[in-house]
Amino acid sequence: MSCPKTEHLTKEYFSSDLSEVSKQEMESHLRRCDTCNQELESLLLVQKNLESWQDQRVPHWDRVMELYRREHRSNEAQGRVFDIWRWLPTAASLAMMLLVVLNTSLVISDQGVSISFGDLSPIAGLESDVDIESRFESFQQNQQAVLADFVIRIENRQDSNNMQLMQVVFDQTQQTTAENLERIYAFFEEQRLQDLEDMRVGYQELANNDYETIRSLEQLAQYVSFSGKVQ
Amino acid sequence: MSLIDEDEALIAAAVNGSAYAWEKLVKRYEPRIYNHGLRLTGNPTDAMDLMQEVFLGVYRNLHRFRGDAKFSSWIFRIAHNKAVDMNRRKKLMTVQLKPDDDGFDIFDSLPSEAKTEPEHRLNAQELNSQVLNMLAELPMEQRLIVECKIFQSLTFEEIAELQDMSVNTAKTRFYTALKKLKVVSEEANVLSQD
Repeated sequence: MSCPKTEHLTKEYFSSDLSEVSKQEMESHLRRCDTCNQELESLLLVQKNLESWQDQRVPHWDRVMELYRREHRSNEAQGRVFDIWRWLPTAASLAMMLLVVLNTSLVISDQGVSISFGDLSPIAGLESDVDIESRFESFQQNQQAVLADFVIRIENRQDSNNMQLMQVVFDQTQQTTAENLERIYAFFEEQRLQDLEDMRVGYQELANNDYETIRSLEQLAQYVSFSGKVQ
Repeated sequence: MSLIDEDEALIAAAVNGSAYAWEKLVKRYEPRIYNHGLRLTGNPTDAMDLMQEVFLGVYRNLHRFRGDAKFSSWIFRIAHNKAVDMNRRKKLMTVQLKPDDDGFDIFDSLPSEAKTEPEHRLNAQELNSQVLNMLAELPMEQRLIVECKIFQSLTFEEIAELQDMSVNTAKTRFYTALKKLKVVSEEANVLSQD
C-alpha cells in the first residue's frame, strides 16, 4: 500500500519552519496512515543512528608552527616556479651571445661531428673574400661619386666667388669698357681653370691614396684568413 | 563574559599578534572542525589536513571578520568551502570506508579519551564506524547536506544559502539521502542476520 502524501510529508517533517496548523495536520495524518508512519519511523531511525556519532579528540598538533609551515610551503612552491621562469630568458640570452661571439660552427660529416670556434671553413672563407671584393668595389664607386659631387660644388662656389671679386674690381677701378671687361674676364677664367685643374689633381691623389690604404687592408685581411686556414 | 564576547576578544587579540589568543581560539573550534572533516573525509589524515587548511584560511582572513555573523557560522562556512575544494582535488571517502573490512579502525590512529575506558571505546568505535560506513554510501553533495542538517543543526534556509540552492532542493536532497541510508541500513541488517 502506498500513500501519495508520503514524500511531501516526510520531506516537510524535517523542516523547522512548519506552522502549528501544518504540524497538527501532519500528526493527524500520521495517526491514520500506516505507510507514512512507517516511512517516517525508518527515516527517524536513520537520523538517530547518525546522531550516535561521538566526537573524537583532535590529535596533537602545533597550532602556530604547523600553519606557518603550511603557509611557507605554498609560498615556497610558487617561488621555485617563479625563479626558474625568471632566470630562463637570461640564461638563454647569455648562451646565444656566447655562440655569436665565439662564432661557433657545428659540422656534421662522415667523419663525425665537430664543433669549431671562429670562421675556419674554406667555403665560408671563399665566400667571405668575394664578399669583401664586392664591398670594396661598391665603396670605391661610392667614393668616386662623392668626389665628383664635391668637385662640382667647389666649382660652383668658385664661380660665385669670381663674380663677387669681379664686382669689387669694377667698383675699385671704375673701368667699365667692354674691352677691359673682356680682358679681365679672360684672366679670371684662366685662373679659374688653372685652380680647378690643380684641385682635381689634388683630389685624385687623395682618392688614390685612400684606395691604396683599402687595398692594403684587404691584403692584410686575406693574409690573416690564409694564416687561419693553414692553422 | 558570554562565549560570543569571548570569541570577539580572542579574535581582536589574535589579529593584534597574540599567539596565546590564537591558540585559544583554535582550541575552542578545532573539535567541531576536525570531527566535521572526519565525517566528510572518512579518515584522520584527510580530516587533519582539512582542519589545518580551514585554520590557515581563518588565519589569513581573520582581520576581515567584522562580527556581522557569529564566528562559529563564519568558520563553518570556511570549513564547508574547504571540504568542497578538497573533494574536487581528490575524491574523498570513496574506497577506504567500504565494509571490506580488514580491520579498519578509526580509533587506532587517534588518541581518544574513550581509549582509556575499554567498554566505552568499543561502543564508540562501533557506532562511529557504522556512521562512517553509512556516510560513505552517499555522494559528496548529499553527505554535505546530511552533515549540515544533522551534525551542524542548520535549517534548510541556512543550508540553501550556504550551498547556493533553493530551499526545496535542499529538502529534496536531504530526503533522498535519508532514503538511501535507510535502504543501506536495511541491507546491512539482512546481511548481519544471515
